[in-house]
Amino acid sequence: MKNTVLAKRYAKALFAVGKEEGSLEELSRNLAEVAAAIATTPELIDALVNPVYPVEVREKVMDYVIKSMKASQVMANFLNLLVQKKRANVLADIAEVFQVMVDDDNNICRGKVVSATELSSSLNDKVKAMLEKITGRQVILKNEVDPSIIGGLIAKVGDLVLDGSIKTQLTGLKESIKGSE
Amino acid sequence: MIKKNNWIKIGSVALAVTVAILVAASAYASGGQGGSLSHEKLMDLLWRTMNFIGLVIILVFFLKKPIGNSLSSRRQAIREKFEDLDAQKAGAEQLYKEYEAKLAKIDDEIKSIIEAAVKQGEVEKQRIIADAERAAGDIKRQSEMAIQYELSEAKYRLRSDIAEQAAAMAEQMIKKNLQEADQNKLVEDYLAKVGAIQ
Repeated sequence: MKNTVLAKRYAKALFAVGKEEGSLEELSRNLAEVAAAIATTPELIDALVNPVYPVEVREKVMDYVIKSMKASQVMANFLNLLVQKKRANVLADIAEVFQVMVDDDNNICRGKVVSATELSSSLNDKVKAMLEKITGRQVILKNEVDPSIIGGLIAKVGDLVLDGSIKTQLTGLKESIKGSE
Repeated sequence: MIKKNNWIKIGSVALAVTVAILVAASAYASGGQGGSLSHEKLMDLLWRTMNFIGLVIILVFFLKKPIGNSLSSRRQAIREKFEDLDAQKAGAEQLYKEYEAKLAKIDDEIKSIIEAAVKQGEVEKQRIIADAERAAGDIKRQSEMAIQYELSEAKYRLRSDIAEQAAAMAEQMIKKNLQEADQNKLVEDYLAKVGAIQ
């Protein structure tokens, strides 16, 4: 379960320190690495949050993680603080919220484009340009292929959804036939 | 006075019978040697007759009063009986008239009860008919509503089936005929459309 309030509080604190030191990108990258490691290795989060293990052991595990990714002192202190405060379980949420904060700071928003077939780079650029025009921000897109949409595309950026898929059009056609008298 | 008259009558009858017997006996005796009754026999008859008359007089003298009383009381009893019967008859007639009057009234009452019952029955009949008509109207309306509902449901199901089949057919045709160039054109057209709106 997501703990957004707590994650925002820690992310905000880390963001303030990173902004002051000008290391937001590095901190964001480090947090993303830790979050990815936790997501791919469930044993790691267990070792960090399970009260069966003593605090010293959990700190040692975190130290190992910090050393392996060669994190900065600020990031090391932050991760150790999470272990001491028994908040390592919200690390993934903090990484997510922190990324959004950094993106906001850089006037960047991230999105996803779903298409039936892989889009050419020129089309990708056109989609990106269109979304940047609409949002007024730099857009970083992630491409996804889903043949079930048949054709067209679905673009999602934040709360904005552009749905030009054949599947949705067919659904609309179906509903209009059903609703017609 | 009546008693005296009775005794005079009895004495006259006895004297008349005695004279008759004496006359008959003397006439028979004057008939000569050829008669069958002798003088002694006649005297004996006379004696017997007088005896009998005396017996009758004695009997009448002694028995007249009790027999008379008895008959008188019997007559009185019969008269009273008749009077009672007359009274009973009068009472019965009175009762009969009363009952006749009552019967006449009962007929009227029965008639009025029957009329009231008929009137009430008529009212009830009208009410039942009105209820039945109302219920029939309700049933008819409900049936019409049910028919309309079923009709609209059937229409909706039919439209849904048509829509599903049309969409499925369209999907198959699009999938079959959609080329890479069409995909690109679809995206470009959509972007142009969104751009135009913007």
